[in-house]
Amino acid sequence: MAEAFILGLSTGSACLVTCGMVMLPYFVADSAGIRKAGSGLLLFLATRLFAYLLLSTVAWFFGRAFFVTSFMSRIIPGALYMIFAVMLVVYSIDRGRKTSCPAGLSAAIKKKRLVPLMLGLVNSIGFCPALFILVTRSATQGTLAGNYLAFTAFFAGSSIWFLPLPLAGKLKGKEVIRTVGILATGLAGVIFMIKGITNIIGGITNIIGGIINV
Amino acid sequence: MFETLKTNGMRKSFVKSLLYALPMFILTFFLMTGGKPDFSDPSYSLALITAFVLVNILYFLMHYTGKTDRYRVVLFVIFALTLSFSLIRNMIAIRHSMSFSQADILECRIPFCHLVIPMMIIPAAFSKSIIFPGSIINGFANISSMVVLWAVATIVLGRGFCSWGCFYGGWDDAFSRFRRKPVFRNINLIWRWMPFAVLFMVALTAALSLIPTYCDWICPFKAVTEYEQVTSVESAAKAGVFFSIFAGLVVVLPVMTTKRTQCSYLCPLGAINSLSNRITPFTIKIDKAACNECNRCVEVCPVFAITKEDIKNGRVSVFCSKCGKCVDACPRNAIHFGIRGVPAGTMKNFSRNMFLFISFLFMAVFSAGSVVNTLQSIFKLITG
Repeated sequence: MAEAFILGLSTGSACLVTCGMVMLPYFVADSAGIRKAGSGLLLFLATRLFAYLLLSTVAWFFGRAFFVTSFMSRIIPGALYMIFAVMLVVYSIDRGRKTSCPAGLSAAIKKKRLVPLMLGLVNSIGFCPALFILVTRSATQGTLAGNYLAFTAFFAGSSIWFLPLPLAGKLKGKEVIRTVGILATGLAGVIFMIKGITNIIGGITNIIGGIINV
Repeated sequence: MFETLKTNGMRKSFVKSLLYALPMFILTFFLMTGGKPDFSDPSYSLALITAFVLVNILYFLMHYTGKTDRYRVVLFVIFALTLSFSLIRNMIAIRHSMSFSQADILECRIPFCHLVIPMMIIPAAFSKSIIFPGSIINGFANISSMVVLWAVATIVLGRGFCSWGCFYGGWDDAFSRFRRKPVFRNINLIWRWMPFAVLFMVALTAALSLIPTYCDWICPFKAVTEYEQVTSVESAAKAGVFFSIFAGLVVVLPVMTTKRTQCSYLCPLGAINSLSNRITPFTIKIDKAACNECNRCVEVCPVFAITKEDIKNGRVSVFCSKCGKCVDACPRNAIHFGIRGVPAGTMKNFSRNMFLFISFLFMAVFSAGSVVNTLQSIFKLITG
């Protein structure tokens, strides 16, 4: 468990990079106060915990083979990144955005409270090396209860990094900060788009390489 | 009114201009030769003399004609071109390629550039580590000398660094002058804040991943200096990104808008320099009494630093890179180089002379080596 916690703590910064750079502009741009931003963060963290527990269950049942194929490890996260990225870019350039919330972007996400949920989900399933190690470990050894504990410890370690995020909402009164926040959201979208394209191409290349080798 | 304009003119007599340029002659001579001129190598001597004459003629002409940007841009563009040339030449001499490998990264053989600085600050402060695979004190383009030079330049010049000290700015400055009139007009000024968004993103990602993410993924100037060897899908994607940004923001958009779009919309160091513009002693001032709001300065500003509101308020924005293009364009000398704390419309000549001396000296210091090296290579090529 301690090992999983340290693993989570060490990789939490990477989680913050993948989601924090979206979450921070979201909290900055949001007109809500710290309490509302805090509840958004809680939803985000709860989604991550749920996703991790689900992952640990999946890892237990399907084992190592489930995660080593290019299709699962690269193409699906790549496609999700792409969808998410397009939404972020559209949000940042859309002059007709009703509120400061990225949820207003898409018909698929009508409630802005669901944005942290989506971010939590994307953050959890974007396989970072540390999580991949944990998933592999869970798939090959230990009990289901042990896996749940390990993933919870991993979640706790990585979540520490996200705790200061709601305070970013304190800056909401400044128009410049809000503008920079919205532009940064669009930029994050571009980054995710590139990451998504890279993942998909990498996945396809691996699959083609595998077929040729066979 | 005519009298006012006449006395405000920046033009000087030949002898007076020569006297003003004399300290620069001496300083650049010492800087270029290191105080020990060695003329034993003919090609080097010729390159040295050519660079010395070029630099000092440009400085002399700034005083003699009263125009700033017209001559600044000549050296600025030459600086950018020659630096890229000498960097590429150096890379090819050492590695036989413009690309660097993982081995070069591991052995810290990557030349440092000032664009890394925004990403270094947080990791350096908290973990006392430098997240760049370059040499700290030794060799070509080492980290410590570049950081010190940038720090001094940005404290003294503010965002003036972007027009007088940056060795990349000359690229989009050159392309922004290809057309006299822009194809795209009425660009939303909200995009001026994009460098701050980029700064925020790259500082955060670099601090947390301990990788200089801007250099790794975005920097368009890798297209004219060096880049990661394409060995995987990821490195190919990186190459695609930086070549696309170079083509878009450094070539196409500057031509279409006549603005320096890379500097205005992307560069994270420009954002930091904009912040230091608030403390620098030199600034651009608008003399509201002399200004007739013709908005010529708004049109010509290459970095979107002046708006009609700024003119009404009598001050330029923090985005100003002190290139002097607005000063050259103003038909009434209402916009001028100034010193913080000194009222607009006063001490125009003194402020300009002070600013020109310091900023030009920076540019001469930064550019001299690459100009001399490039000229020497060209002379060697010609003479066989």
